[in-house]
Amino acid sequence: MRKTRFRSFPVLMITIAFFAGLIYFIINLAAHSAEWASMPYNGHLSDSGGLETAGMITDRNGVVLAKTENGKRIYNEDEDIRRACLHVVGDNSVNISTAIQTIYRSELSGYNFVLGLGTPDFIKEGADIKLTIDSEVQKAAYLALGDYKGAVMVYNYKTGEIICMVSTPTYDPENVPEDIETNDAYEGAYINRAISAAYPPGSTFKLITASAALEKDKNYANREYDCIGYTEIGGKAINCYSVSGHIDMTGAITDSCNAYFAELTVDLGKDIMQKQAEKMGFNSSWRFDGIETVNSTYDISKADENSFAWSGVGQYTVLESPVNMAIRSSAIANGGKSVTPKLITEISSVFGGAFNHDDSSPSKTMMSRETADTIADMMDYTVENEYGKGYFSKYLDVCAKTGTAEVSDDGLAHAWVTGFTKDEDCPLAFAVVVEHGNSGYQVAIPIAGATLDAVAESFGVN
Amino acid sequence: MEHIAEIASFVIRIAEPLLALTAIIMAFYSLRAGRRDEHALITLENEADHVIYSVLYWENSIGRSRSSDIRLSDPTVSRDHAVLLRRNDGWFVTDTGSKSGVFVNGEKTVGRHQVAVGDTITCGTTSLVLRRASDTVSTEQRHEKKMFPQGVILSFVTLYTILLILQAVINMGNTDALIPGVVFIAVIWIYYGISRAAFKRLNFELESVAFFLSGTGIILAASHDSRQAYMQLGAMVLGLCIYSFLLWFIEIPDRVMKWNVAISILTLLLLASTLVIGKSVNGAKNWIIIGPLSVQPSEFAKIAYIFVGASTLDVLQTKKSLAAFITVSAASVGCLVLMSDFGTAVIFFVTFLIIAFMRSGDIKTVVLAITAAVLGVLTVLSVKPYIAERFEAWGHVWDYADVAGGYQQVRSLIYSASGGLFGVGLSKGCLQYVFASENDLVFCLMCEEIGCIIALLCALAIGGLMLYARAVTTRSRSTFYSIAACSAGGLLVFQAALNIFGVTDILPLTGVTLPFVSYGGTSMAACWGMLAFIKSADERTYARHKPKQKKISVRTRQKQKYDEDFVEI
Repeated sequence: MRKTRFRSFPVLMITIAFFAGLIYFIINLAAHSAEWASMPYNGHLSDSGGLETAGMITDRNGVVLAKTENGKRIYNEDEDIRRACLHVVGDNSVNISTAIQTIYRSELSGYNFVLGLGTPDFIKEGADIKLTIDSEVQKAAYLALGDYKGAVMVYNYKTGEIICMVSTPTYDPENVPEDIETNDAYEGAYINRAISAAYPPGSTFKLITASAALEKDKNYANREYDCIGYTEIGGKAINCYSVSGHIDMTGAITDSCNAYFAELTVDLGKDIMQKQAEKMGFNSSWRFDGIETVNSTYDISKADENSFAWSGVGQYTVLESPVNMAIRSSAIANGGKSVTPKLITEISSVFGGAFNHDDSSPSKTMMSRETADTIADMMDYTVENEYGKGYFSKYLDVCAKTGTAEVSDDGLAHAWVTGFTKDEDCPLAFAVVVEHGNSGYQVAIPIAGATLDAVAESFGVN
Repeated sequence: MEHIAEIASFVIRIAEPLLALTAIIMAFYSLRAGRRDEHALITLENEADHVIYSVLYWENSIGRSRSSDIRLSDPTVSRDHAVLLRRNDGWFVTDTGSKSGVFVNGEKTVGRHQVAVGDTITCGTTSLVLRRASDTVSTEQRHEKKMFPQGVILSFVTLYTILLILQAVINMGNTDALIPGVVFIAVIWIYYGISRAAFKRLNFELESVAFFLSGTGIILAASHDSRQAYMQLGAMVLGLCIYSFLLWFIEIPDRVMKWNVAISILTLLLLASTLVIGKSVNGAKNWIIIGPLSVQPSEFAKIAYIFVGASTLDVLQTKKSLAAFITVSAASVGCLVLMSDFGTAVIFFVTFLIIAFMRSGDIKTVVLAITAAVLGVLTVLSVKPYIAERFEAWGHVWDYADVAGGYQQVRSLIYSASGGLFGVGLSKGCLQYVFASENDLVFCLMCEEIGCIIALLCALAIGGLMLYARAVTTRSRSTFYSIAACSAGGLLVFQAALNIFGVTDILPLTGVTLPFVSYGGTSMAACWGMLAFIKSADERTYARHKPKQKKISVRTRQKQKYDEDFVEI
């Protein structure tokens, strides 16, 4: 019978494999349970589930944006702040997928590994979450956007703290409109356009083309060009808004000369353009605080010569999210290194549960310090000579580049502006997009300016 | 005051795993302590050099082979020469096809031949004299290990069940779970009473483990749908009857061996009849519906199949051919594949591998079988490519969160995570609304409602049954029991693995039940049948009861039972 026992070892192997599988499951469960429990499919947390005992959400100054009283979720008393913060904070539903109240629903509702969502109500206390945003700045940006659809993103390019992230159209989380699904005015209201939408970047992309050239050879900055208002590439014309005449790269940025950058793009070639775009955040997404942004796309593999030339001025099929644009401006401000944004200052839980959302994208080297400084100077020059420092901001020294991106659906062009401030105690990178705003200079800059001034006032830099 | 129910429910949820853990530790500790020490039952003395061979097992191979239980280094002895075996009516020796034959007191034996103390068994040129163990070697017992009284173990299981019932009553605010729960506890103790009084049984560790698992399943069912709980209770009572019948039937392994052919035919008939008159439910044509009853004959075929595979040592050594067993196995797996019941087909196949290897020790057969199976799977997939689609979500269920392939697994994982260590409370979960939560997803349903500690304890208990079955392979009364217990245990563990890892996306979801716990009458009854094989490997199960003995400990009584029961010769 000894033989029989010896031959029973495969059975032992099965049992060991079974136990190993159980251990694997436990490890998996321990590692992912917070993430799994906060999935939008979780029936315990759907609709307003889990908010009955949820903790508080506050802004950087401790202003309460959302809290629960007597089992009911209430938001800031100012309706404008409620609307301005909707896409960051979220509402009672889980419809806004990137909102804090969606992603952190389980933490807010008092989730912890030991008791799961089974903590009895009488001892249950949800975690409080402190955000980096400033509710007053949010309100200023929201009011500046007015009836436009669009997004404003402003963050500190030294610390990564997002000071302002507003998306419109928005609605009041305390009175969700009944026609939200059918009314065109609320089209895409569940989307945070700052991080989940991508638009043609238009002339703001010229900063990328310029950095591609300077990375290849810094003498490109001095290359001179005679603009006659258009150029012909691949048998088709590429038009400018004006005739710039004799210009160098700084002039081409200031005047936003399409012909200059179209020629430059073709000169650099697809390889260099593709690589530089990808170094500057295209064809991948950003992650911070459990939020994943939409991809910005630059794909020229099937482009003919004319289309490729257009891609260098941010047209063709190029799409970029406001968040990516703000991040690449942070790299220009920071000597070439990008800073990944963050939205949460701290999560304080009674159980001190470790919420493992610390999977932020790493900082990227987007260009050399020399290139970054050169482009920063060009943006500085552009504001000084083209837009006017005073027109931009009352308090801050802003460097920027606008964009007016043609859209395929015959509507008015999208308006963009992106840039950064040079102020040591108020170091901000920003991007503003206004759908069908038609003019970066006339529409986007005032919105950006109003937001930046609100930050300056809040920071006491005035 | 308003929180009283909530507090009570919470305290109960924390107390439950503690009780469950205690009961399981007691049961397995007791099983281990009750295992016989390996001491000589009798001895064989070599006439020439007076070397003493201890005979440790109920069935012992004698031969030149290194793996023989009694190894004779005599070139005239065959590798597998003979088998010396103990039965209720004494000791026997069987010539298992040796070249030079087996002689008892100088007479050549044919077939099984009884031997007594003082007899000389001659194999080749070696003569061995049968001696009483006490006359030749020390038979002193090692230090006695303490065992828990059986009633105490069952009481802990009962207490655990009472807490589950209480929790269900508090959470649901009605008494739906009360009656099934009370009936369940009554069944436990009636079974205990009858077994002690009528069948003179003394050990209930294995039953305690099975009651723990069944009770968890029944109360879980009761807190969602009391009709299911009654069904499950009925199935458990049927299971207990099957269990008791099987224990009686397999008491004499030689009797079982005589029935072998009939049982083989029964296995195939069960499967073939399903194929012909079976109804298709959820994609697998494995149900037979008779009036209000629907049964899955393939569950019972599992029991019959183990009968076919297991065998006593003398038969194994004489008839080495696996041909008949392989034929039955191939036909069974074939039937199951035709029914599209792939989960059960895989379980049969793994059971086949376990049995085939334990019988023959032949790696070649195993490799050949696996090769054949892989070819079979590839053929099936090339003929019916849509079968692969069923499993396409495996490994990335999150991408299939809202479609058929991954919907159940995604919910199962989310709700397992929501339950924490102690669960959100019976009937308070969300997974109960997902299709097949009470059987295929039951592991995660437990995680969500009563916590992952109890869910894991259930899994560990099933694994423990297997480890126990293996630990008694040399202590059982015949290789028949060893093989049957190991294959039954292996089957239960493998089925549990398919169930648990299927729903947690570690393996593809095949839709098999979690033994004892899942809702499903046939499955419940069949699992108790499986348990009979493991129980039969426990030597204490068939020890004769001595009614005249008075006032001695359970432990001593058990010891005496299997020592004294050994017929004097």
